[in-house]
This record gives sequence, structure tokens and C-alpha cells, in this order.
Amino acid sequence: MRENPYVPYPALLKRSYFESDDFSLKTFEFELLDGNRIDYIPGQFCEISVFGKGEAPFGIASSPTEGHILKFTVNKAGLVTTALHEAEEGSILGIRGPLGNGYPVEKFRGKNVLIVGGGFAFTTLRSLLVYLLNSRSDYEKITVIYGARTPGLLLYREELFEWEKRDDLKVILTVDREFPGWEKQVGFVPQVLERTAPSSKDCYAVVCGPPIMIKFTLPVLEKLGFKPEMVYTSLEKRMKCGIGKCGRCNIGPKYICKDGPVFSLAQLAELPEDY
Amino acid sequence: MKKIEKEKLLRHLEEKGNLVRLDRARQDPLSVTKSSHLPQEELLLLFRINGDKGVEIRVPEGRGGKILFGVSPCEARAVDLLDLTFLRDRIDPYYKRKREDNVLFVLACNKPRSTCFCTSFGYGPFSGKFGDVFMVDIGDNLLIDPVTEKGSKALEGLELEEATPSDLEKMESLKRSAEGAITTVNIEGISEKLKKMFLDEIWADLAFKCVNCGACTYVCPTCYCFDIQDVERTNWGYRERVWDSCMFPIYSLETSGHNPRPTGVERMRNRIMHKFSYYPELYGEYGCVGCGRCIRACPVNFDIREALETLKEVEVAA
Repeated sequence: MRENPYVPYPALLKRSYFESDDFSLKTFEFELLDGNRIDYIPGQFCEISVFGKGEAPFGIASSPTEGHILKFTVNKAGLVTTALHEAEEGSILGIRGPLGNGYPVEKFRGKNVLIVGGGFAFTTLRSLLVYLLNSRSDYEKITVIYGARTPGLLLYREELFEWEKRDDLKVILTVDREFPGWEKQVGFVPQVLERTAPSSKDCYAVVCGPPIMIKFTLPVLEKLGFKPEMVYTSLEKRMKCGIGKCGRCNIGPKYICKDGPVFSLAQLAELPEDY
Repeated sequence: MKKIEKEKLLRHLEEKGNLVRLDRARQDPLSVTKSSHLPQEELLLLFRINGDKGVEIRVPEGRGGKILFGVSPCEARAVDLLDLTFLRDRIDPYYKRKREDNVLFVLACNKPRSTCFCTSFGYGPFSGKFGDVFMVDIGDNLLIDPVTEKGSKALEGLELEEATPSDLEKMESLKRSAEGAITTVNIEGISEKLKKMFLDEIWADLAFKCVNCGACTYVCPTCYCFDIQDVERTNWGYRERVWDSCMFPIYSLETSGHNPRPTGVERMRNRIMHKFSYYPELYGEYGCVGCGRCIRACPVNFDIREALETLKEVEVAA
């Protein structure tokens, strides 16, 4: 991050491609110009600027172990994201970051890790998974449960199918209901989690997904014996500055941008329900 | 304390730099002291898009220092509170530059308003520890006392007389009468109590007459929330920050349509909680200085002092 935290690094959009078959999600790969590099950990985010349109925060989908290309997967929803979707490869945009705390990867060392994701919230989970796999022997069992409404809405499909084949990793993919040609799991993420019933012993769980998925997933984790301090999630709220100044992303006295976006359930239990 | 003729001091300061007189139009609705550090609109960066050659980003220099003359103690204290946000963690360079450049000449409040309640926060209209120079208007002369090194420097080259015992007596009597005119709200324990009141029904009562115009937050010298917006021209543009308000629905409205604070009830709760619960929890200070501006600006006569009294009355389960 620069000394002036409001000034973005100029970044070259090297590649962009659709990530979902409904064309609502695109993945963007950036390279910072002028030899700039940022050091980040999985779970942190950046503000992407489309100059003239504004900036918006996005979780980093690449892992720092993959080199200097920064990857983001973005849903086309508002002014900035629409402009981003329309940006041509070779355009120069701005990137500010890394922002936020990230996942507590140091704590995961020597432990089992359960990753539970839903819909297009798999971005920073991809970062985390790639990061863990990069030094696979540092962690014990890794389990991934990831679901979307339809197969075409699963992010990073090719990678997921490759990961599925590995024997040092358990990947369970699910879609909400039967789909022609889909032979993997069918059912909502919380149900599949309950059926899979991973052991909570020495296991950290990281859960990201739409609010409704989180709502039904947390009780299942509790039933499986996961303690609140062993379960992490990443929160979102409207943000502007990303550095705890502009005010809007507070939950009680904490700011999602600065104190989060990653919180344990134990931390969230201390905060008012203001999100 | 020393003393000096007011005209003499003003002449000296006029030569020194950009003198802003707040002593004549005192109690402006908008806090000039706040806007001198956090302007309502402020340029963050300019950019030019040069086709294939990329984007050129330029950070504006920012304006030179102001000498703010006649800042009330409450407003000077409010700047100290803004420091807690802008000069901690990631330092805000735009704020910092102004904070370092501006000199605050604080003038004790001889005539507090009926809406003042600064004495509720452990200081008063004659508190001399805020800003860079403290002054008391005793009629023909100003009693004057530098608070910071910056303040001493601003007074360099001036011949100051020693204040006489009768000057000091005059000051004491002005102080007594000013303090006597101010309502003190006993807010002891409010921050601890508020922690247990997030889900209380009282917020609906408090928010009932509020029209969410945001005037309270604009005039508040400690409210600092801002929005960041881009302005686009052909191949160039700029990014600026503008004051925002937690009383506006769009402040927390997300692109998905979800709004964690969808009605005035949640927004009122956040405004009061921020000042009287979150601020104390983070910094050990209330985020309110008792200046009463929000009371004067409110179109529906919402009185924060009454709100505090109401909150004190509410019974909460232990």
C-alpha cells in the first residue's frame, strides 16, 4: 500500500473472461505497472478503480503463491462493475490495496481445514485453497464443500475438477437441484455439509456465501461440534475508503474494511447485528 | 497569562498568513473549523487517460495554512477527536497536511448559547488546553496563552504584557458566569448502558420525528463520514471526497439492494451509538463535544440532550 492510501496503483488489465455461463461474472487478471508489487494474504481485498466511474472493493481471488498477477471475479451489478465488465483487455485501471485482515492462515498450520462456499463467494476461498495447497504438507486434512445454483455458476470449474481428482484433498461440489449431465452432489450447501459431516476435531472452518447459506450453515457446523472461535467468515458491507475512515462499514465499533473482513464467529458474537 | 490588544494581535496575524476570523460571526451553523480540516468537497486525485500510454495520476498540493481566529473550545476539542480517526492507523495525508498547517486561536466562550452542554464532557467554555493558542476576551484586551509550540511560534515577535491580578479576576468572573449558563447533562455510565441497548425499542421512539435530513451530521464538528466519487470528463477526470451522512439511506445501501440500516430507526441508533458507545469503546472519549449545533440545526427540534436523558431513563435487563 502506498504512503497516500487513497492513490491507486495503475494496473494493466491483462486478461478478462466470463466465469459463469449466465455472463454475470467475469474474472479479471491484472498486472501492476511501474514494477509495483503488493504483498497480500488470502482473504484480503483491493479497491479496483475504473477511472471516471469510481472504485469498489473486491476480494482477491489469486493466491500470493501464484506470482504477481492479481485475479478478481466480479459480478456485474452496479456502475463500477458494469464499467469493469466493459473494460477491454489492455486497459489501464487502478488497484488500491491490499486492504483488510485476511484469513488467519498461520493458525491453520498443522490443523484440518474445512472450506465451505456458496455461489460467487468462492473468490477469496480459491485464494485460500491455492495458498494451502502450495504448501500442502503444512496442513492436515483439507475438505472443500462448494455449491451453486447450477453447474454453470460454479466459479473456477476446470480447477475444481482437477482438485477433485487429488487424493490429498476432498472436494465436494453440489448444485441446488438436478441438472442434465450433473452427476455430482445435489442439494443446498448446508444439507450437503450435514451429509458429509466432516469432523470438527482440530479443524478450522472457513465459510463464505450468500447470507441465506451462511444462516443455515452455521447451525450445522455447531451441531458438528465446531467452536465459534474455530469458524471464520468474511463479511461485506458498502465501503468507500477501505481504511476505516469514511465510516459506513462499521458493525458496532469495528470496521469491516479495517478490522475485517474476516471475523470468527466468536468475534461476531461480541458485535451487534448491524449487517 | 499574558495580555495584548486585540487589534495589535490581529494585525500581527494578518501579516503571518491566511487569517480566518471566526470571532465576529461566531456560532456559524457550519463548523468552519471542521471544514478547514475536512472540507465538504475535497480533491483526492486527478487523472488523465493517455490512450496506450496509460493513466497519469496526480495528487493535488492542497491549500496553505489558515490561521483560525476565534475558534470556540468545543470546536477545537472536536478537531482533537477528528485526529483519532484521521491520524491513527493509516494516516490520512490530506487531513494531516491541513492539521499541521492550520493554527487554531481558541477564544473562550463568554456568552454560551442556550443549546450548549459542553460541561457534560469534562471541559468547559474556558478550557484552555485545546488548539494552539488560548485567548480570553476581557473587554479592552485579550488574555493570551500559547498551548502548543506552533502557537508560541505564531506569537513570536509580539510584545506581550503580563496579565494583572485584576485581569485574571475579570477572567474568573466571566468564566463563572459562562459556566453557570450551561446545562450539564449527566452522562455517566451511558456508554456501558448503550452496549446493552442495541435491540431496545426506544430507538423507534427517538427516531419517530426525525426526517433523516442529515443536517445534524453536517453541522456536527465531530461527524466526519465521507463518500468518494469520480467526476469524468473526456480523457481526464478527478476523484473527490464529499461529506456524507449516516442519516441517509444510501449511505449503507448495498448494490444487491440489501441495506443493513433500512429505516430511520437503525440510522438514529447508529448516530447516537457511534458518539456515545463506539467512540468511548475505541478511544475512551465521547464523540460529542456538546456544542449544540445539531440542536439548533434540526428542523424538527430533535434535542440530543433530551435523547440522552431518555436513554438514561430506559430500564435495561442487567
